Amino acid sequence: MGIYLDYQAAKPVDERVLKEMLPYFNDKFANPASLHGDGDIATEALEKSREKVANFINAPNPADIIFTSGATESNNLALIGAANFYKKKGNHIIISEIEHISILNIAKYLERQGFKVSRVQVDQYGIVRVDKLKKLINDETILISISTASNEVGSIQPMEEISEIAQKSGILLHSDVIPSESSIPINVQDIPFDLVSLSSNDIYGPRGIGALYIKKGVRVKPIIIGGGQERGLRSGSENMPGIVGFAAAAELMKKEIKEESNRLKKFRDKLIDKILELIPNSYLNGHPEKRLPHNAHFRFDFIEGESLILSLKDYGIAAATGSACSSKTLEPSHTLIAMGLLHQEAHGSLLISMGRFTKEKDIERLIEVLPGIVKKLRILSPLTPPELLKKYEVK
Amino acid sequence: MKSTQYSEKVLDHFRNPRNVGVIENPDGYGKVGNPVCGDLMEIFIKVKKNDKGEEIIEDIKFRTFGCGSAVATSSMVTEMAKGMKVDDAYKITRSDVAEELDGLPPIKMHCSNLAADALKAAIDNYRKGTEPFVEASHSCTTEIKVILGLEEFKGKGVYMKVDDLAKLKDKRVLIVDTGDKSIELALKLTEYTGRVILLTSSKTLPGSDDLKKKLKSSDVKVIFQSEILEIKGTDEVEKVLIHDFDEDENYELFIDSVVILD
Repeated sequence: MGIYLDYQAAKPVDERVLKEMLPYFNDKFANPASLHGDGDIATEALEKSREKVANFINAPNPADIIFTSGATESNNLALIGAANFYKKKGNHIIISEIEHISILNIAKYLERQGFKVSRVQVDQYGIVRVDKLKKLINDETILISISTASNEVGSIQPMEEISEIAQKSGILLHSDVIPSESSIPINVQDIPFDLVSLSSNDIYGPRGIGALYIKKGVRVKPIIIGGGQERGLRSGSENMPGIVGFAAAAELMKKEIKEESNRLKKFRDKLIDKILELIPNSYLNGHPEKRLPHNAHFRFDFIEGESLILSLKDYGIAAATGSACSSKTLEPSHTLIAMGLLHQEAHGSLLISMGRFTKEKDIERLIEVLPGIVKKLRILSPLTPPELLKKYEVK
Repeated sequence: MKSTQYSEKVLDHFRNPRNVGVIENPDGYGKVGNPVCGDLMEIFIKVKKNDKGEEIIEDIKFRTFGCGSAVATSSMVTEMAKGMKVDDAYKITRSDVAEELDGLPPIKMHCSNLAADALKAAIDNYRKGTEPFVEASHSCTTEIKVILGLEEFKGKGVYMKVDDLAKLKDKRVLIVDTGDKSIELALKLTEYTGRVILLTSSKTLPGSDDLKKKLKSSDVKVIFQSEILEIKGTDEVEKVLIHDFDEDENYELFIDSVVILD
């Protein structure tokens, strides 16, 4: 495998996590619902895992954790579940312009169901405008859903302020914390979230498993109906290998998160400094300081992102872009547009996301090859102005 | 199919594009696409007559802004057309180019296979005319037309004068080019915010030679050949609707303030 710098898209399962999971595929395969001894072993593992995940976000009661099939389902349960439970209280929901696509599409679905959705704006750095958020709140508002950070440009949101506003107005606060799950510790007692979506894969656990934290006293209506597992909020026989893996990953992450984010922060700063210095007409997207330790998001004038990704691929480097040409819808990233970038600027973006197994030499290699790739594509591009070509010593 | 699942031929033409560059004083010039959509292509041709008196494409060059398939199709079409009779080159279709490249992912067929169109445009330009370059049909005007929402948002993000630059700190500011004063303001504002956009109806950098030079090396983002149609928002300015008259397209841009100096 080459150099992998697309950790926001997918993360590998940590070997230590995998080891803990394996017995639950065959040796300890029983269903926690069974009354026999093997069932007891499964039940014990299930509740032990619930404790570990609760501990990961400092949730006061393990019972506040509901296991789901992943972040998307958690977001569905939080938004649709809470909207349906509290619809007599009001029909207005607030999200931000730059939420993850799952939140955006759930919001659209709720609009079709008769709910009203407001999308709070962000500033040029991709940070939610708290002043605007305040103005959007009305008597009908039942839920605010804002992610702790942008998974794309890495901007960290002012969650303390947002949570204060929600509390003061008696509105539920949901947060999809997945973008920051591997780099910023979450403490639901410090910032009183009502609902928190978690993903296992984003902390180096297996895919297909996640959780929703539901604060005691907060209610949601289930969206999956069946045998009544997970306090009736999420039916379906428990995915035991997944749950055990998720818990193991959460335990490790809790231990290693500080050291890991300090390490990545150093790589990030080096990368940003060097790229902005070495490549003319290059910019950092997102906030220079309030950004995730593992995220660097650039844009380069006059070139297109898919070409960048393809060229990096030739050097064995995996990265991502917000360019329309690389997306299924052929639309540029909604986050970059909401920040106020022009379409042609959004096309020239490059997202570098690092993780647990990124090494300093990976970043050094990227710094070594990227200026040449950008130069090559700019020489090709009709948008490159003559002055810049002169700098590149091209006639 | 993934957008990056390209054939070996596509990847080869992307990695080693043929006939890149510009022909000075070309006999034909064609430009298609739009950087807003992510693709822009230009083709230059030089034509000469052979012994039989037939017109032949003697030389051809291209430049492309776009994704992998946009670059590869441009490169391929130049390779196909070089040395060809002009009449035959004119008949090259999008699917001919795709076929020569051993196919393109379906999602890329419509958006980036513009190369054949660019070649046709270059040949049309050669046949039709004395003018090798297609000039924009619009003349530049500094006259400000009616902007919807202008009155409504005055003082709520729309400013006709700016006395205190600090109030625009960290805001996304769009300044309409109304002469050198507006350009000077744009330059000064870059000390207060990272996002200053200058909107001009001109095709090239506006202002005096000195200001042009300063603009070039500044962080001011210039939007050319455009005008504001509408200012939108709930209580304050949130977006502007911009009309690009080169492409004759409208699009929205998220901003916080609009400055139109009197």
